[in-house]
Amino acid sequence: MANDREVLREIWDGKLPICFQLAQEEIMEIQQPDAFYVMVPRLSYFPLVTDKMKRHFLRYISQENSDSEMWLDYNGQPLKWHYPIGFLYDLLCGNDPQLPWHLTVHFTKFPEDVLLHCNNKDVVEAHFMSTVKEADVLKHRGQVMSTMQKKDHNQLWLGLQNDKFDQFWAINRRLMESHGDNEGFKHIPIKLYSDDGTCSQRLVSPKNNDGSRKTLQQMVAELYPDKHDVQLRTHGVIIPSDTPLQWLSEHMSYPDNFLHLCVF
Amino acid sequence: MGDEKQTDNVPSDLSNATESLKIEGDQKENGDASKSDKVKIDILLKATGNAPIMKKKKWAVDAEKPIGWIMEFVKKYLKLEADEKLFLYVNQTFAPSPDQLVKNLYECFGTDGKLVLHYCKSQAWG
Repeated sequence: MANDREVLREIWDGKLPICFQLAQEEIMEIQQPDAFYVMVPRLSYFPLVTDKMKRHFLRYISQENSDSEMWLDYNGQPLKWHYPIGFLYDLLCGNDPQLPWHLTVHFTKFPEDVLLHCNNKDVVEAHFMSTVKEADVLKHRGQVMSTMQKKDHNQLWLGLQNDKFDQFWAINRRLMESHGDNEGFKHIPIKLYSDDGTCSQRLVSPKNNDGSRKTLQQMVAELYPDKHDVQLRTHGVIIPSDTPLQWLSEHMSYPDNFLHLCVF
Repeated sequence: MGDEKQTDNVPSDLSNATESLKIEGDQKENGDASKSDKVKIDILLKATGNAPIMKKKKWAVDAEKPIGWIMEFVKKYLKLEADEKLFLYVNQTFAPSPDQLVKNLYECFGTDGKLVLHYCKSQAWG
């Protein structure tokens, strides 16, 4: 079970300064809108933290576009709202950090082939809860989520949405417990991303065949037998290669209970 | 698994749809994937709730395809209206993201050489 509470807190408190600017082609007023600066939690999702920013820019755009779906890009790359913010930054800026992170706001030309639609926060909630369930299937055959009550699921979501560490972890700790005789999860929920954004998901055990704890290095050797010097980044840090996977999963997973690791 | 194996051809009125979607019926048994350029994964589509049953349930799908593509395929096969919803579930537990790749789900949740997906027209498992 997760017990390095300071690590959990540190990860939870991670924030990114972001500078939003309205795309030039959207501006319909003579006066240029000011950029919108905001600190956002790394663990959150863009649709949960952009209400104010959207209101700020709405009065500068054409009225006919005011009801269309807002979307964001970094350097011409549309940002997927269903990935955690901190992960998107690590993926797109990890090798070349820039702060604040400059993002462009759009209300037209929604890139249908790249982004999923997100009309309201319920869509984010559905995606989040489904990912937590998927992680629990990998860890505990889905038994923890299925025995929880609806109010526990709500508390998990509201804890994330409202940035309440204690509220979230009061429930999430149950998802981080090991079951059965052995310590450790059945499998580690993990998503590995190459720098072009391709996600690879593999079935990874927290243990080696001899029963010893599997480290990050050992997993990398198994998954990338031909590559050398593979490094993995999450939450803005390069993970030491001798970190046990079980510990990593319990402490460095995103709220959706998955490890999101950038491979480079 | 024998009773799940479908040998019938795609009904003629669906041939256009299936052709344009470039989905291939499962004509052969395991192990032939290496012969073609693209790796195919067997998926088994099972109806649940109020969803109509598909006559052909087992399909071989390009491993690199996203789940959203399968959703569109099933919607076309079942002749659903564009605004009708379709939900896909893995392990009768969670709904994968439409941009999740078939190979990732197969890697983690495949059983007996295939990936089982349940589909329905309303939310079945939250």
